[in-house]
Amino acid sequence: MLISRTLLVTFGLALAVGWVGSAAAYHTRFVADNCNYAAPTPTSVITREGSAAVALRARHEGYQWAGGCWNDNDRDDAPGDPTTDAGTGGEGGDCSGFTFKVWREALNTSDSSFQQWGMLRYVHGPYTAAAFKAGSGAPNVTVSKSALIKMDALASDGHIGLVYAVNPDGTDQIIEAKGEAYGTNIWTRTYRGSSSYSGVRRTGWSS
Amino acid sequence: MRPGKLLHRRVAVPVVGAVIGCAAGVASIGLGPAVAQRISPEPRAVFDATHLPPLLTTRNERPELAYDVHCSAGDDEGAEAGCDVRGAVFVRRAGRGSFERLALSSRTSNSSSRQLTARVPDSLSSQPGGFEYYAELEAPDLGERITVPAGGVEAPHTSRPLEAPVDVALGRHSFGDARRTGVRLALAAWGDGPAQFGLEQGRQLGAIGPSAFDVDAAGTVSVLDQVHRRLLRWRKGARDPIRVPLSIAGTIADLAVADDGSAYVLESTAEPGRNALVKRFDDAGRELEAIETAERTSSQIRMAQGGALVLGHPSHHWMPVTVGGVPASRGAQLRHGRAGRSLRSGGEIVLFRHANELRVAMISGRSVTRSWRLTSATSLAEVQLAEPIGQRLVLVVRLYDDEIDEFVVLTVDRKGLVDRFTLDAADWAETAPLSRFRLVGTSLYRLGSTPAGTFVDRFDLEVR
Repeated sequence: MLISRTLLVTFGLALAVGWVGSAAAYHTRFVADNCNYAAPTPTSVITREGSAAVALRARHEGYQWAGGCWNDNDRDDAPGDPTTDAGTGGEGGDCSGFTFKVWREALNTSDSSFQQWGMLRYVHGPYTAAAFKAGSGAPNVTVSKSALIKMDALASDGHIGLVYAVNPDGTDQIIEAKGEAYGTNIWTRTYRGSSSYSGVRRTGWSS
Repeated sequence: MRPGKLLHRRVAVPVVGAVIGCAAGVASIGLGPAVAQRISPEPRAVFDATHLPPLLTTRNERPELAYDVHCSAGDDEGAEAGCDVRGAVFVRRAGRGSFERLALSSRTSNSSSRQLTARVPDSLSSQPGGFEYYAELEAPDLGERITVPAGGVEAPHTSRPLEAPVDVALGRHSFGDARRTGVRLALAAWGDGPAQFGLEQGRQLGAIGPSAFDVDAAGTVSVLDQVHRRLLRWRKGARDPIRVPLSIAGTIADLAVADDGSAYVLESTAEPGRNALVKRFDDAGRELEAIETAERTSSQIRMAQGGALVLGHPSHHWMPVTVGGVPASRGAQLRHGRAGRSLRSGGEIVLFRHANELRVAMISGRSVTRSWRLTSATSLAEVQLAEPIGQRLVLVVRLYDDEIDEFVVLTVDRKGLVDRFTLDAADWAETAPLSRFRLVGTSLYRLGSTPAGTFVDRFDLEVR
């Protein structure tokens, strides 16, 4: 009895110590096992509806700071990875990487062409949220927030989300990669009215 | 047992336990994600629709019902191929007769991609009580159907005409003018101390502070410090808060406090494959119920006469989380959905903001009893609050341009605008979307934040 209790207690304590010690070095093989580095496919026809479909497929997937690769199983396959470490190899884009792929932009910031990346293509793109906010890059322009329409973006210095729908109370449904604890999904937000946020548009849509 | 053997066991057993435990702990970190990430399924079809219902119309308006549809059968590289979507709207006079089928026609809109639309016949749109409708959309290639709103024939959308709204022209707003200062009731700095508010921050993540608050009839202010998974509660006149621990997710959430002191927390995140939960806690923080919400996105929770209501999307319906005193199933929530929010004082309030115009109606039964139509030359963002005080209505609306924003507090009555003042946005930290204001009695309360911390102020409104 005494032996089994001692074994149980020490096992439990050591389990905790082992977990805490390893958590600091959290990493996952999600990217290594699932993602690719294939070249994007250039495309001439690109619509807001098509971009919405790309964004919707990322719903319920994870968030990874500086990441840009996800699958389509409606769960974060690398939950809880430290938000301070860009190299954990976890699932999901961050807010700007998600926007880059949904807007199907090119790595070269002077190139405004459309590029299909595919959800398992591991790419973040060259833009931070602040860069999008400033309208940096050939494909991106700032626009008045009151003129924003579906799949335009609201960007602050630290975050960017895409307008998916408008609600009767004046809020927006925003599709966004919000954070590690949130993943990627549609939420009601009040970004449009906040002076922290600016309106940003990807140019060149086919319709 | 010999003493030596016992000693050996006393040393050996903990060592063995520790070694196995450490190994298991390390392995649990490494193997957890490794096991989960092996699942790399084929991309699934996408089929979704959004719709802004014309909840309130003005005379001679002929509403068009438009549904933005998103359909894709393939992977991301095939997103442009789309897929066939067809459907119909079923319309009838509000509360009367059988539903008439209107075929939806497809068009491509420059502003919102592909839409299915139908024009409501004048014979229905001109009815004094308005009309009800729901849509059934189908993607035959995918074998999928969507009903909008999800309550369908049992909880359709209702569009009501405003026969004689009180017109209020707000003109062009002058930012920074007519500011009013409130009474500071609660103040706490950012931090992890017993009377401090947690701040969620990270790379590519804006600051998120306490995400909601509520005030009860006794004047007790409860602020949801979700980062620390607790309420900080200031009794009336108290300088220091009481801490009430809560078992919550720790992410952005909304809060409503019932008359019995129980707290309803509407989460914004959920377990895979589930919708967000509403959790109810007693005054001491013991969890009483956890009820899954009916729709993918829920933006508000408020108390009504019969219990708590949640505003769900994409239906834009207020739905009860309990029916007959027991937790409501998804189906029951949807069947009880309504565009109007039931008020504690009885009746309903319906809002419809479109561009720079805001329409508000007070509803009793199926009739509009009072209504207002506010127009602004400055952009209107969200309506943070709309609550009646007697025959008056208090509105808090955010006004903005591309450089600045602030909240305007409006009191209107049967003749027009009674009072108007503005408040600094004070929104340094993000909250739940519509959780910055509460009205209790004749006092308006606001949750604000600065780089130093979060506060709750009270503004006593003029009542004659």
